[in-house]
Amino acid sequence: MPHLATIEKRGIPSVFIIYEDQDECFEQACRLNGIPHLRRVNCSRTIPGPEDVDRWIDDLMDALVRPLTAEETAGGRWEEPDERILFEGTLEEANEFYQQTMIVPTLQNAPFAIYTDGMPIVIPTEERVAKMLKGTSHPADEIIRYQSDHKLGDRINQMGSSGIKGEPVYYMPMRRMATVEKVATIGVMAGCKPEHMPILLTMAESGGGCSDGRGGGSFCISGPIAKEVGMNFDVNVLGPGNPSNRCLGRATDLMWRNFGQQIPSVNNCGVFGGGITNVFPENADALPPGWKGLNEEYDFNKDESIMIPAGAGGGGTHFSPGGYRAFQKSGHGGIARRLGVKGVSGPKNWLEYEVPGWWKCGEGGISIIMLPEMAQHLYEAGFKSKDDVYEWIYNQSFMTVREYRTHSWPDMRTNAWKGIERTSGKRWLELDEDYMVPACEDPYSNLIIVTGAGEEMALIGGGRMAGMDAAWYIDPWR
Amino acid sequence: MAEKTYKCLNPVGIHTPVGLSPLAPRLNKLDGKTIFVSIGAGGEQDITIPLPKKLQEKYPQVNWIIQGAGPHLTKAGSISLTDEQVESGEIDALIRGVIW
Repeated sequence: MPHLATIEKRGIPSVFIIYEDQDECFEQACRLNGIPHLRRVNCSRTIPGPEDVDRWIDDLMDALVRPLTAEETAGGRWEEPDERILFEGTLEEANEFYQQTMIVPTLQNAPFAIYTDGMPIVIPTEERVAKMLKGTSHPADEIIRYQSDHKLGDRINQMGSSGIKGEPVYYMPMRRMATVEKVATIGVMAGCKPEHMPILLTMAESGGGCSDGRGGGSFCISGPIAKEVGMNFDVNVLGPGNPSNRCLGRATDLMWRNFGQQIPSVNNCGVFGGGITNVFPENADALPPGWKGLNEEYDFNKDESIMIPAGAGGGGTHFSPGGYRAFQKSGHGGIARRLGVKGVSGPKNWLEYEVPGWWKCGEGGISIIMLPEMAQHLYEAGFKSKDDVYEWIYNQSFMTVREYRTHSWPDMRTNAWKGIERTSGKRWLELDEDYMVPACEDPYSNLIIVTGAGEEMALIGGGRMAGMDAAWYIDPWR
Repeated sequence: MAEKTYKCLNPVGIHTPVGLSPLAPRLNKLDGKTIFVSIGAGGEQDITIPLPKKLQEKYPQVNWIIQGAGPHLTKAGSISLTDEQVESGEIDALIRGVIW
């Protein structure tokens, strides 16, 4: 939208085709980009294309010639004040104030929280926020800016955040900014403690869980700060009960609502939203010999703390924990039968059981949140580093062009197969159908996080975004 | 005794003022105009295929430039109209589909 708005501002009349249910989001984006009345027609999600085009093609063309209305020719300026004190009263009154909801007609009149994630919060009194601010050396009025250079990806760049050291972070969808004090305010509301401030500020530097306005997901902490703040590394690492894991996770949702001002169907065109956001730690102490922690993977030292976006979405492994143990101990059970190692004792590559399903329909890298015991099995099966595993996964992702062309997303990502295939340098349509192409961008689009404990299972999700610099350094925010 | 009152802080992000612009003047006619059509190719084939065809059939007096580009695959951001094309004056109007 920012680029599209500049075209109209430069005197080229335009008209857009969008879905009716996203009309409000479109209008908000237009206003945010300084051209509030961009013309559009609504296409259908269900009517077949030829029939659908016939419904609005004349309106589409009319939008380019129909004289402008007075409203469309008006300019102006959109400003909103920023009051430091939002409310003054008793705690009971404050509770009522912060729990306010509004009715959103496009959400079928469901109430939507104005300042919270929908759950009760700790009231951010001036005293509580002042105490929270003691958790960082940064001044309260400091605008959240990038502490180092980051590659954020074209989409985030287009929406206003540069990732350049010293420049402000903008929170989407409404491209707002925040101060250290506002981050502390969110921390209080989420139930965090002052020692969480460096992590909270790092989350804010990374975009506050807003992503492109449709929300961001979860984060993984690598380095000593995880233990310093008492995060849970063990059973239930993603579950409720541990204040650090859960309160930090909640803070990202509060940033998304307050910093980004997201309202579903009004300025956030997401679909289901995420579940309760988690912030969880890597257990670097439990890594097999030679396997690097996430901080070292990103060229930080072991004693430095970082945060990376890492979700547990997607699904889990498909074997029973008992079946897994039988496979590893003595080569019994279904996994051993499938992999042809019946009766073979000793550690084996359990990923072989899971890998056939990974790119049946999808593409891209794979993230695996695995227990230390299962990482150790991979080490003993021959993977002496995480890099070895990443390379192995990448090699498994190859398939024929014939098969790849039966996937959905590549229709778009290959520019309708008119683009260039990376490994061959040829156009997709020129490739032999038996040519093998990787579904992963590169080995490092895969991600392994060793953490948790309990019955043998792992969580599988989408991997790292290729070309993005995903590690955020926590220590400068101490 | 009156209950203690507190000043409570504002978590809402800081709004950056936005200058609001009018729409560009509309075309006085379609005849002879060059209109750039950009729709995410490959994503919504149900529209990307019939729309250019029907535009050219129904509005033959227009000089059509049909461009398919996957959203987010171009530096300009989901549109393959370059700055040079905008500056050159060779484009009179734009039709854009925000389509996955």
